[in-house]
Amino acid sequence: MSEVTINTEWLSDCSGCHIAIVDLHEKILSVLQAVKIQRCPVLTDIKDYPPATIGLVSGAIRNEHDRHAAIEMRKSCKIVIAWGSCAVFGGPAGAGNIHTPAEIGRAVYLDNKTTTSANPPSSEVSPLESIVTPIDSVIDVDLYLPGCPPHPAFIFEALSALVEGREPEVNRRTVCAKCKRNMEKTDVSEIKTNSEGLPNAEQCFLSQGYTCMGSVTIDRCLAPCPANGVPCTGCAGATMQILTEPNRDIRTEIAERMSRLTKIDRNVIVSSLERAAKSHYSYTMATSMIGSKPTFHIKKWIEDENADYEAGGVA
Amino acid sequence: MKKTIRIDPVTRIEGHAKVFINLNDDGSLDNAGLVVNELRGFEKILIGMEADRMPHITARICGVCPTAHHIAASNALDYAAGVTTPPAAMLLRELMYMGHIIHSHSLSIFVLQGPDLVMGLDADPAVRNVVGIVQANPELAKIALRLRTIGQKINEMVGGRGTHPVTSVAGGITFVLDQEKKKIIQEWIDEARALLPTVVPAVKGLLLKALDLHPAMLNDWVAPSWGLGTVLNDRVSLIEGKLRAIDETGATMLEFNVDEYDKYLVESVVDWSYMKKVHFKLDGLHEYRVGPMARMNAMRRFGTEMADAEYAEFAKLGGSPCHLTVFQTYAKLVETIWAIERADEIINDPAVWGETRVPVTFKSGRGVGHSEAPRGTLIHDYEIDEKGIIRAANLIVATQQNYAIINRSVEQAAQSHVIGKTDDAALLNAVEFSIRCYDPCLSCATHAVGRMPLEIAITCGGTTVKTINRNN
Repeated sequence: MSEVTINTEWLSDCSGCHIAIVDLHEKILSVLQAVKIQRCPVLTDIKDYPPATIGLVSGAIRNEHDRHAAIEMRKSCKIVIAWGSCAVFGGPAGAGNIHTPAEIGRAVYLDNKTTTSANPPSSEVSPLESIVTPIDSVIDVDLYLPGCPPHPAFIFEALSALVEGREPEVNRRTVCAKCKRNMEKTDVSEIKTNSEGLPNAEQCFLSQGYTCMGSVTIDRCLAPCPANGVPCTGCAGATMQILTEPNRDIRTEIAERMSRLTKIDRNVIVSSLERAAKSHYSYTMATSMIGSKPTFHIKKWIEDENADYEAGGVA
Repeated sequence: MKKTIRIDPVTRIEGHAKVFINLNDDGSLDNAGLVVNELRGFEKILIGMEADRMPHITARICGVCPTAHHIAASNALDYAAGVTTPPAAMLLRELMYMGHIIHSHSLSIFVLQGPDLVMGLDADPAVRNVVGIVQANPELAKIALRLRTIGQKINEMVGGRGTHPVTSVAGGITFVLDQEKKKIIQEWIDEARALLPTVVPAVKGLLLKALDLHPAMLNDWVAPSWGLGTVLNDRVSLIEGKLRAIDETGATMLEFNVDEYDKYLVESVVDWSYMKKVHFKLDGLHEYRVGPMARMNAMRRFGTEMADAEYAEFAKLGGSPCHLTVFQTYAKLVETIWAIERADEIINDPAVWGETRVPVTFKSGRGVGHSEAPRGTLIHDYEIDEKGIIRAANLIVATQQNYAIINRSVEQAAQSHVIGKTDDAALLNAVEFSIRCYDPCLSCATHAVGRMPLEIAITCGGTTVKTINRNN
């Protein structure tokens, strides 16, 4: 068998997916023995794109440089993996799609409380594209590995499978599958924000009136958040059902479950999720599978919320 | 004819950047700088989100120092809600943080800078990486990776996750300590302590060897500047305390609470980079340094035995205050020692078993909080409405504050290692090495912006005569 070579590239992201490789800990040495890492901007000094078996691409397409780098990775690699929630869904930077590049530039450079106002940088830097998109809007992708970052166990499985020449084993379960909390019917009648009160450690967050996204989020994490007292924030992105079925969505699915477990009205839950849509859809709104759903009206929800805020007149 | 040298991308740093070096007609240095080439715009993205999400979503600004954002955001929310964080929660946040420091500094020293130190600045780029270290010095590589692992495991156990921890929330922390977890953490700390007698002399030896080979690093790579860091009980502190500003001589110029930061820190836009510069405003504008060496210059004390002893060694070799760029690597080593000792103190402090979380209600108003990221002071400032929604956000990250000094170092390295020399590729790595000393985190710097590869461009009369990246 010829040597398996790897190129990695980071586009618009936080570099956490690359750190997740180092978080293979002891296993990193066996990975380094099994494959040859070529371009990997955080580890090596190889600055071009040598031909490789596997290409790991993390990050979303935010500017022209990202687009160019994604294309170079596709040209140089036989198998391209969209690695992490930014590459797969757009990730948190995708929440920038609510705003135009000019609005973002204004908030950072022209109208910022500690910045001496000046026009956004214009030389040397790569201009922003009008919207943030996942990498498959620019190149063909062979494997999708969401997660923020994906738990190292999933990265290890993906790499081992490709080295051994087999299909990686992937589950389609939700975060709930690995969560040990008990779903119980309760008399809870109001939705709580995550910082209100102190949640019970054994009971499902939805039963307690907390917005937990575990039931609509694919498990690429092994459910550490609910195990540690924190409701899921959906960082690995939505389940296949939600992505592919037009009549299912993050807010309606959560509302279904929570309204059955509590005494909170389904419509109240839907409306609450819409009002904080920027939080709940932050990781996935840049993918057309969510952003282009006919029922997804995030700009209107945000406008309504802003109108209420302004009418409320917080002095 | 004027010319420009480019390094693109800069590698073995956190994020994407390039470097340009502009030369005058006579071949002398005109100017040089680091270009950060990504913008995400978190200050805009956060508006409209629920405040209680901040510790989780702002961690995503940076995969290298997520814990710094996680804690700065939590501190800002506590401030906004007007709650006093329970002492046990602050201790556990600090314990998570010490794990984070061990991880981040080990990564910077061994994985990012290590190849330059172990194999030399002019080693073959094809082997000048962590795999090369594993081959050249397998014992050191194993120990170094183990130390980083221990740090990340402490961070993960207390934080719930390693990269992008989750347990620190408004009002405290959701992590619950028990005897079993305490025992495991204690074992990790003991193991890390046991690695120090090997790691410390090894790193110091490599550093001194580099100085021997490159006397310019000792004589010319000197950047006197102001410094800023966090002080508590007259010692270095990372997640609570006042900010202390010192001048070039090390004299304290000001101590202030973080909510006054906007009086003293002034950001300015650079037309050729998405990253903004920051100056300290006090009787004029001053360039300043943040990070491990700035903290040591300002406080000169950790309050633990081994770290204070090692700091005395540091001061003997590098001076106090120290302005040697390369000594920032040594400063990371001293802080790593301290982080291990401090973690040990925390896990054995009876106060760690107290109440860890109080319920929180947001009043309409401002929330300001900070942390000392491994690479320097990080500030989060939010306006939160009475429903707990973010209405405005301002973030100042470490690497922005080092930006002016980084550019000075780039010029010094270009002067000593590139200008008038023939072997471009090898010598340009010296420029990158000078940048790596700051452990710049461009993911953070691109909160505002995104990432950073390195390219060096040589221009002459505005025309690029030559672009150098690692492969040509």
